[in-house]
Amino acid sequence: MKIAITKNAKILALFAIACTAVVSLTFELTKNRIKQQEQKQLLTSLHAVVPDEIHDNDMSQRCVRINDPLLGSSDDQLAYLATQNEQPVAAAITSVAPDGYSGKIFLMVAMHMDGKLGAVRVLKHQETPGLGDKVEERKSDWIFSFNNRSKEELTSSRWAVEKDGGMIDQFTGATITPRAVVKAVKNTASYFEQHKDTLFQQANACEVEQ
Amino acid sequence: MKLTEEYKELAWQGLWKNNPGLVQLLGLCPLLAVTSTVTNALGLGLATLLVLIGSNATVSAIRHWVPKEIRIPIFVLIIAAFVTCVQLLMNAFTYGIYESLGIFLPLIVTNCAIIGRAEAYASKNPIKQASFDGLMMGLGFAAVLVVLGAMRELLGQGTLFDGAHLLFGEWATSLRIEVLQLDSQFLLAILPPGAFIGMGFLIALKNYIDSQSAARQPAPEPNDNIERVRVNFD
Repeated sequence: MKIAITKNAKILALFAIACTAVVSLTFELTKNRIKQQEQKQLLTSLHAVVPDEIHDNDMSQRCVRINDPLLGSSDDQLAYLATQNEQPVAAAITSVAPDGYSGKIFLMVAMHMDGKLGAVRVLKHQETPGLGDKVEERKSDWIFSFNNRSKEELTSSRWAVEKDGGMIDQFTGATITPRAVVKAVKNTASYFEQHKDTLFQQANACEVEQ
Repeated sequence: MKLTEEYKELAWQGLWKNNPGLVQLLGLCPLLAVTSTVTNALGLGLATLLVLIGSNATVSAIRHWVPKEIRIPIFVLIIAAFVTCVQLLMNAFTYGIYESLGIFLPLIVTNCAIIGRAEAYASKNPIKQASFDGLMMGLGFAAVLVVLGAMRELLGQGTLFDGAHLLFGEWATSLRIEVLQLDSQFLLAILPPGAFIGMGFLIALKNYIDSQSAARQPAPEPNDNIERVRVNFD
């Protein structure tokens, strides 16, 4: 009996080691490629939220690490800074909507120096397919309703989804997801208002690392 | 000769008679959840196919060394390892589809069709047959996914292969077909209930075809004589 248990335990352990080895190997082999893909995705998102005409620097190479409860996460977030002739014009801030329907929704929010909201994109989420995933720009136009909202709109009490008496459209079938995004955008905007003067003086965290 | 018969039987079982999607009704969760477009369906179908072939081959290769008391945890380990590898590979090479499959990619681990095949077939048969069985079962599953995906995408969005470039690269953008111009989406088809209803129709269709072909077959030789003989013996 004891021998059988030891033997089985050994076999199980061997298989566990072998399987872990295979997974780690695959991870090592795909690591760089995955990173590249994510970087590419990031560039596309940056390009989408901050128009090329208004800045002349490479935003993916100029960012600062920020950490604030308003950004919805205890992890460091990044703010990609756009400058024109060395003058700050806008920042694309990554932030988190912690109260999505199935976990966190990762956002990128572009704020202009005059407090105007440029655009919002969802970077990553696990919302229900067919319902909450309409926050993706591929699935629905909803996320474009954030384009070019003024500072007054952002701070107004009507910055909420229609169901809560606000002015932002919602989409059929899901309330929690848009509500979470709307709230996170507002928080990110108010973070930007408070910190926009110091943001551009911080050390660059995205130095050329290629 | 006998071997080709066996392969034929495996193909028939996997693709039609014992189809994991339509007959065994295994792996319904991903099947119903991701089939809102053909591209998603194809992505998950291919991922499941890869995992099935890999896990069937491995399970069959090690079948002599695994004591039967601990075979289930070992099968689960192997399947989980394969799923993680496929997930990493899809993350690296088909980033867009990886994003849109989301949670359902890791959930392949819980697809009972896979452990079912490992237990019922692969653990008792040689590698070649087991891999072939994995291929056929995977193809059968993928076919159901794609058909259901096509139905739902067509009804819901009026397109086919929307977003195919996420899976195959930029050239596939031209695969997108605008079949119907829909003013308003038929939302039910895209939503989960549409998946259940569509699935119901597919199963009904399969049963209908089966019963039609059974009716067309010549009736089996009446065995009455033999049975009567037996009855008379009592």
